[in-house]
Amino acid sequence: MLALQLLVNGIVTGSALGVMAVSFALIYATTRVFHVAHAGVYTLGGYLAWTLVHRGVPDLPALVLAMAGCVVVGSLIQILLYGPLDRRGAAQLVVLIASLGALAVIQNLIAAVYSPDILEFPPNWAGHVFPLPGGLRLTGVQIATVVVDFIAFGLTLAFAHRTLLGKRIRAVASNPFLAEITRLEPRRVHVYVMAIASALVCLPGVLGPLDYGLQPYGGVTPLLTATIAMIAGGIGSLAGAFALAVAIVVLQNLALLVMPGEWSIGVTFAIFVVFMLLRPRGLFAGKA
Amino acid sequence: MSSRARSLLAALAVSAALGISAPRPARAADAAPITFGAILPLTGPGAVIGTEQMKGIQFALKQQNAKGGIDGHPIRVVFEDDQAKPDQAVLAFNKLVGLQHLPMIYTAYSGPSLAMAPLTARKHVLMLNAGAQSDKLAHASPYLFNTLPTTADEVGVMVKYLRAHGKSTSVVLYENDAAGIGGRDDFVREFKAAGGKILAQEPTQFGQTDYRPALLKLAAAKAQVLFVVTTAGQKSMADQLHQMNQTWLVAGTTFMEDPPTIADPNAKGIIHTQVVANASPELMAAFKKEMGAEMGFFSRQYYNATQIMFALTEHLLKEHKAITGENLRAAIFQIKTFHGLVPMTFTTNTAVVPVAINEMTGGSEKTIATGTAH
Repeated sequence: MLALQLLVNGIVTGSALGVMAVSFALIYATTRVFHVAHAGVYTLGGYLAWTLVHRGVPDLPALVLAMAGCVVVGSLIQILLYGPLDRRGAAQLVVLIASLGALAVIQNLIAAVYSPDILEFPPNWAGHVFPLPGGLRLTGVQIATVVVDFIAFGLTLAFAHRTLLGKRIRAVASNPFLAEITRLEPRRVHVYVMAIASALVCLPGVLGPLDYGLQPYGGVTPLLTATIAMIAGGIGSLAGAFALAVAIVVLQNLALLVMPGEWSIGVTFAIFVVFMLLRPRGLFAGKA
Repeated sequence: MSSRARSLLAALAVSAALGISAPRPARAADAAPITFGAILPLTGPGAVIGTEQMKGIQFALKQQNAKGGIDGHPIRVVFEDDQAKPDQAVLAFNKLVGLQHLPMIYTAYSGPSLAMAPLTARKHVLMLNAGAQSDKLAHASPYLFNTLPTTADEVGVMVKYLRAHGKSTSVVLYENDAAGIGGRDDFVREFKAAGGKILAQEPTQFGQTDYRPALLKLAAAKAQVLFVVTTAGQKSMADQLHQMNQTWLVAGTTFMEDPPTIADPNAKGIIHTQVVANASPELMAAFKKEMGAEMGFFSRQYYNATQIMFALTEHLLKEHKAITGENLRAAIFQIKTFHGLVPMTFTTNTAVVPVAINEMTGGSEKTIATGTAH
C-alpha cells in the first residue's frame, strides 16, 4: 500500500512539474532564453487566482482569469525585456541575468503586496478526501491535478504537431535564420510562445497552491526540477520533458522505500548525472 | 481684542518660538537616543515569523517612547534582515556592531544565532534570543541569553506527558536544520530514557509544504505518536495528516503555535507544548489597533524580550553605568527576575519559564496539562 500511494503521489506531483517542464521547454527551444522568470509567472498565477477566489469569483473562472493574467505578464516580459535584448544582440548570459532580475522583481512584488506568509485558499472541494481501491486516498485537488495536467500535456502536443501556429513555432525553433527569411516572423512567434507557455504554467501554478498553499519564493524549486527534466528529456522534446519530470518525482518518492528522505533527492539527481554522462543529449533528443 | 490680551498673545508667541514653556514630563526627545539592533528574517520563508517578531519589538518601543522613553532617552532598534541564513546574519552583525557599535542585538532562529554567538563573546555584545530553541544556544556564548526554554526543556515536559498517557512508540518528523535536528535529538534521547521506543525518523526541508512522502513512510512504522519538529507549513501538514486518516497522536513543540493551523478543523487532536506568555485582552487589542495584526506568539515573545531590554537599560541608567554589552549582561544576573508578560528568572543564560501542553480542538485550542521547563 505504501509503495502504491508513493507511486501515485509521485505521478500527481510529477504531472504538475511535467507541465512546467513542457512550458519551459517550449520557451527554451523556441527563443533560446533560459527563462528563469517563468518561476515568477508560475507563482503569480497562484496569487492571481487566490485574489479572485477571495473576491468571490468561483474557482474555474478564477483559474481562467489567472491564466489570462499570466499570458499578459509573460508576453510583456518578451516584448519589454527579451525582445529589446535580442535586437541589441545581447549575449545569453546577459539575457539570463535579465531573467533573474525579472524573477526577483516578481517575487518581491508578490511578497510586498501579499506578505511573505504562506497563504491558503479557503476550504473547498480541493481538500475533500476520496478513498480509492488499494487503500489509496487522494484529495480532490490531487485528482484534478493529474487529470488537468495530463490533458494539458496532450493538448500541447496536439497543438505543436497539428495546428498551423504549432508548426510555425516548431519551424522557428528548428531554424530561426530560415524562419526569418521565410517571413515566419520569429520575434512575433516568440511572443506567442511566451503567452502560451505562461498560460500553461499557470495550471500547476494554481492547482499546486490549492494543495500546498502559496509562497512568494515557492516557484524556484519546481523550476529546478522542471529544468533538469527538460535537459534530461532532450532539449526540444516536449514529451521527453514531461516524461522525465514524472520519472524524477516518482523516483524521488519511491526512493523513500529504501533510504531516508534526506538522501532521496541527492541520489535521484546523482542517477541523472550518470545518465547525462552516458546520454548527454537527453533521452528523447531530436524527437520534438 | 484689548491691548493687554494682544501683549499676552505676543508674549506666548515669542516664548513658543524660543521654546520656553512650562515644566512638563520627560519626553522621548529630551536625551540622546539609545539604539539597539535586531537581526531577524524579514524576507524569505522565515519572514512570517520574523515580521511577527519585529512587530512585537516595534509595539513595545512605541509604547515606551510614548511614555517618554527611559529616563528621557528615546529607545530605537535598527532592524537587519538575515533571511534566517547564518552567513547573512554574520554580515548583519558586523554591520550593526562593527560600524554602528550597538551594545545589544535581538536574534531569532537557531542557525543564525549560533553563527553569531562566537562574535558576541569576542565583541562583548549582549544578544537576546526570544525565538530560537536549539539546545546549543544554552551554552553558545556567555553573552547570548534565551528567553525561551531550549527544545530539550520543552520536549522533557512533552515526554513526561506522553509516557504518563501510555505512549511507548513514536516516529519523528523533523526539519533538516539546527532547530529541527536539535529537537529530534532531544526527543529521541528523552523518549528512550523514559522507556519509549523510536521506530522511524524522516526529515523535511525548511519552507516545504509537501509532507506526504515523509508522512507515508512514517505511517508505515505504525507508531502511537508522531512527534513533529518543524517551524513552518504546519497547516498543510495538518491537511495531509487528515488525508491519511492515521490513529497516531500528533505531538509538537511551541513551533506548532500557528494561528492558521489552530483554526484548521483538520488539526483537531494535535497537541503541543507551549511556552506560556499570555497577554491581557487590553494589550492584545492595543497591539491589533497599532500594528494592524493579531499579537501572535512571537510578537508576545519579542514584546516580552523588549521589556527585559527596558529593565536592563533603566537599571544601568540608574546606576550611572554605560550601556555596554558587558554591563547589560551583568545587569541580567543582578536583576535576575523580570516581570514582563510572564515572570522570567535567569539563573543561567536560559530563562526558567512555565510550559503548557495545548490540544487543538478544530478551531481553537485548550490547555490540557502544565509543567516547568528548565
